[in-house]
Amino acid sequence: MAENGVHDSQLLKGVLSLALLRLLAERESYGYELVTRLHELGLTEVQDGSVYPALGRLERDGQVTSRLVASSSGAARKYYRLSAGGYAELTHIGLAWQSLVRALDPILSKPVPAKPKEALP
Amino acid sequence: MNQVALTKKDRARIELAVQAVDWKLNGRVPRARRRQVLNELRGNLIEAAEQVGAENAVRQLGDVKALASSYLELYRGRFDFRAAAFWSFLMYAAIQILGLALFFAFRAGVAAGGAHGASYSFELWPGFGPFAGKVSASGNTFEVLIGSPAHILLVMLAFIVGGAYRSVFARRRA
Repeated sequence: MAENGVHDSQLLKGVLSLALLRLLAERESYGYELVTRLHELGLTEVQDGSVYPALGRLERDGQVTSRLVASSSGAARKYYRLSAGGYAELTHIGLAWQSLVRALDPILSKPVPAKPKEALP
Repeated sequence: MNQVALTKKDRARIELAVQAVDWKLNGRVPRARRRQVLNELRGNLIEAAEQVGAENAVRQLGDVKALASSYLELYRGRFDFRAAAFWSFLMYAAIQILGLALFFAFRAGVAAGGAHGASYSFELWPGFGPFAGKVSASGNTFEVLIGSPAHILLVMLAFIVGGAYRSVFARRRA
């Protein structure tokens, strides 16, 4: 999470699939439930409208499967669960993400100088 | 969290958002898939509305056009009926404009030739079209083809090519 609690929307978009796969690895969920779970984690900028197509994309790519379950609100809920391919993808992206964080952390953790050094002639 | 009972107004607000998405998918996404997508969206919106109110639920959805574009990108069918209709209309309009231009040129030719009496007609591929016209020497008769076998053939061709070219190009790129 950023220090002021605000996340860059482009960054979020890039890691949304990873977050969804990770949440689905814990338990099967439907669209709105996943949105609320993301919000509870502090990712309040994630809009419902970006989560629903992302789930569709994961399903198209075979990383999740779905089933319809009747609900009290009327319309049936579409529950998503991780497939074998999804587990493999989660492991793969998870490792890639951790590697990226490790690579960037030494640079980003340094204090930012007031003025960049000039190139030597 | 407390559940909010939905009013007719809430349901109308939700349906409006669903229909806004449907407007962009209609004719472009296969019907069965479209129904699935809209049912899921409607279900999620109802769930959200029961938690945070319909207005907030729709607001949380974000840009509805962007959402519809995402769905379109994901589920676009092989044939785009909207594009097909657009291109066939454009083809018909182009034939008619060209036909009228030919007709006026022919009429100007008749007038410049100093013809009088009788009427003069021109036709490309008699009985097939698409261009044919008739003009009297006095310029009072005004006739030009509005439909012919060639019209039908060209409009059908535009319909097929216009509706399918995107998926053909997408397959080539892939």
